[in-house]
Amino acid sequence: MAAALEVRGIVKRYGALVANAGVDLVVERGEIHGIMGENGAGKSTLMNILYGVTQPDAGEIRLGGALVRLRSPLDAIRNGLGMVHQAFRLFDSLSVWENIVFGREPVRGWVVDGRTARAAVAELAERFSLSVNVDARVGDLSVGVRQRVEILKALYREARILILDEPTAVLTPREADALADVMRALVADGRSILFVTHKLREVLDVTDRITVMRHGAVSARLETARTSEQEVVRAMVGRAVSLDIQRPDVATGDVVLEVDHLSVKMEHGHSAVSDAGLTVHAGEIVGIAGVAGNGQSELIEAIAGLRRHAGGTIRLRGTEIGGLSVGARRRLGVAYIPEDRATVGTAGRASASENLILGFQRRREFQRWGHLLHERVLGWAQRLIVRYDVRIRDAQTPVDTLSGGNLQKVVVARELEHQAALIIAEQPTRGVDIGAIEFIHRKLLEERARGRAILLVSAELSEILALSDRILVIYEGRIVANLPSREASEERIGSLLAGGSGDAPPVEAGPLRAPSPAPSLSDAKLRDP
Amino acid sequence: MSFTFPHLRRAHRRLPTALWSILASFVVGGLVLLSTGNNPLTAYRALVSGALSLPNLPDTLNWAMPVVGMTLVAAIPLRAGMLNLGGDGQLVVGGLVAAIVPLHLPFTGFAAIIISMAAAIIAAGLYALLAAWGEISRGIPMLISSLLLNYPAVGVASYLVRFPLRDTTSNLPQSAMIPLDDRLPALVGPLNVGAPVMIAVALAYVWFERRTVGGLELRLSGINARFARYGGIHLARQAYGVMFVSGGIAGLVGSIIVLGSHFRFIDDGLLAPSFGPTGFMAALLAGGQPLGSVAAGLFFAAMQIGGVGMQRDTEVPRVLTMVLQAITILLIALFRRQRTDRE
Repeated sequence: MAAALEVRGIVKRYGALVANAGVDLVVERGEIHGIMGENGAGKSTLMNILYGVTQPDAGEIRLGGALVRLRSPLDAIRNGLGMVHQAFRLFDSLSVWENIVFGREPVRGWVVDGRTARAAVAELAERFSLSVNVDARVGDLSVGVRQRVEILKALYREARILILDEPTAVLTPREADALADVMRALVADGRSILFVTHKLREVLDVTDRITVMRHGAVSARLETARTSEQEVVRAMVGRAVSLDIQRPDVATGDVVLEVDHLSVKMEHGHSAVSDAGLTVHAGEIVGIAGVAGNGQSELIEAIAGLRRHAGGTIRLRGTEIGGLSVGARRRLGVAYIPEDRATVGTAGRASASENLILGFQRRREFQRWGHLLHERVLGWAQRLIVRYDVRIRDAQTPVDTLSGGNLQKVVVARELEHQAALIIAEQPTRGVDIGAIEFIHRKLLEERARGRAILLVSAELSEILALSDRILVIYEGRIVANLPSREASEERIGSLLAGGSGDAPPVEAGPLRAPSPAPSLSDAKLRDP
Repeated sequence: MSFTFPHLRRAHRRLPTALWSILASFVVGGLVLLSTGNNPLTAYRALVSGALSLPNLPDTLNWAMPVVGMTLVAAIPLRAGMLNLGGDGQLVVGGLVAAIVPLHLPFTGFAAIIISMAAAIIAAGLYALLAAWGEISRGIPMLISSLLLNYPAVGVASYLVRFPLRDTTSNLPQSAMIPLDDRLPALVGPLNVGAPVMIAVALAYVWFERRTVGGLELRLSGINARFARYGGIHLARQAYGVMFVSGGIAGLVGSIIVLGSHFRFIDDGLLAPSFGPTGFMAALLAGGQPLGSVAAGLFFAAMQIGGVGMQRDTEVPRVLTMVLQAITILLIALFRRQRTDRE
């Protein structure tokens, strides 16, 4: 019997760049097939070709043995392909069933047959045990449930092959487990899943086979049961990478950052951060774990001075900085690697040297009476480019030409060079390749060894666990736990992330509120009318 | 000069586009001329000599002074990612102050000129600050407030020179003549020292933008304001500074026209030639890039003065130059559009 999907010799060029250089891929019926690869390996291009978004320059696609040409996503859907994008494509103000039938509504004459549609959706959800309240407004649902709506949308369009693009990036560990169950139910029904991810553990847990891509070509085809983390990483990076982080003991010093009773209000009055307290000592990495949207961004922006706080104190080495400007805080010793490197951390059309000098431009070594000393600025930029291994043509090249990993290195280089007492690292490795992750982690640990205080925010639990000396869990704007790393486990934090109790009472408590009894965010939302 | 920053290299790549556009607009204009039975070569020769021949050059430079000045008024905020649409109002405030101050000073001469010009610059700069203040502390978009502030400035000035400040010896809505000693010294023909002053201002801005810390911060804010703020640049302070300088230059232009050419404030005298809109167009054309903006301003001034010469020497009306300018701008926009599509 022919494979569900068979791709042969796919080539796609963008000018001089070869995004796909003869990619072969076979996906069987009833299989979860992992697609791994670093950023820029060609995964997205391949998925876009499969979903009809772009057309390949060469190569063929067969579905169930029959040659097809996919000229548009509509073509792909007609041929039984479905895709769940990283950013959901749903109407927040419409109900679940309206979203699902949108574009394919059962009609009676000129009118949408709501009753039939609603029943069909409910039945579909029932069949795959995708518990969703079909009448809920999508805007009220948690991220995990929205993802189920996306999956249902594809199933409603009779997708036999489902492409999931980094589906777990936005989920709590518990929601990710639930997604794995859904995936297994779908393949048990004879469907196939293409699971695109960069998380090693998941791909090893969930998939049957793995195709690893590197530089636009397939670098390995692996049977999940017979492979190992090391083998997958080597295929992705082309060399062995040590993912185990050695975190040597460093004697912690004085308190560098001390935040007390901090609250941040949003424009429309609701609290993004409530009564948060935390301390970071010199030589210590404090990790803030939390599912995106639980107030960690607002907390960090308040500390950095980018957002006004409604109450509480922020002290840096004993000095209250809550009322100071961003520039004043930076001068006192705050460095900040922001979560969004492209829109906050860099100016795309500006050169690498201009990006690397921001924050230093008024220092005496770079200016005389306001006159910029260009040779020194350039020399500085060139030194940083070498030291942080930024792959760029020269210091005068605009940074919008750089890949995610290299752009992040520009940000990291600039911020670490401040030699600031406090380093805030917000999602420092999101969307960068494994080589860059390794590099950035090493740099952060070096700074820790130099006695800097580091406040780390990450959506990757593994990153938090690997780097942090102490872990705070933020949930709905409150810091609900404060654990030394030796007492933290993935399970325990995972439960806290979703508002659970984490089994044991948190130690060295900051201001604590008893979390709601609901065991997980998704379940709690599901019970809403 | 070494090209340390990429926008300079981009400006150089942009130059051919601009030249091609000008050339193409002249070809189109030539076809129009041919179809109406005129000789395009004769007309264009008259256009060029009308602008650049030795006897006409002082006229062109005298016209270029306010055009380039108003180009800077638009270009400086544009470079920092802001829009100052209030150049006309600031120009009028500056002109009015420069027309009033000398009449009330107890002395005349060089000091009076300096004081009048300084007062004009400060008054216009402060008037521009109003728009920045509205945006920063009251959340009124500067785009709107700077534009709307034109109307009170123009209206009040018009009222003043019609009633309280009216020169009673004439029937026209204009203020009294400024004493001879308080006028800007003439150089050649209509040209006065205002032109070299404006050249100095333009050069100072080119240097500032390219070579100073403030210029770097200005550019970075223009490219990505969130990045600038994150990096510790005080955006509000910068906006006040930029608007004060921008308005101040408009005030300087107004004072130079009043003290150097009109010798009084004539109602609508500063606005009728459309220096503000012309300068705004020039600045937009160059994306606020300093040298490019100044060059575009000079080009427009030359076209406008050349058009007068062409109209005088041939049968071709000077409206043609407006057509050529419009075609040039549309073509440049078109070329740029295609380039971004390819990217």
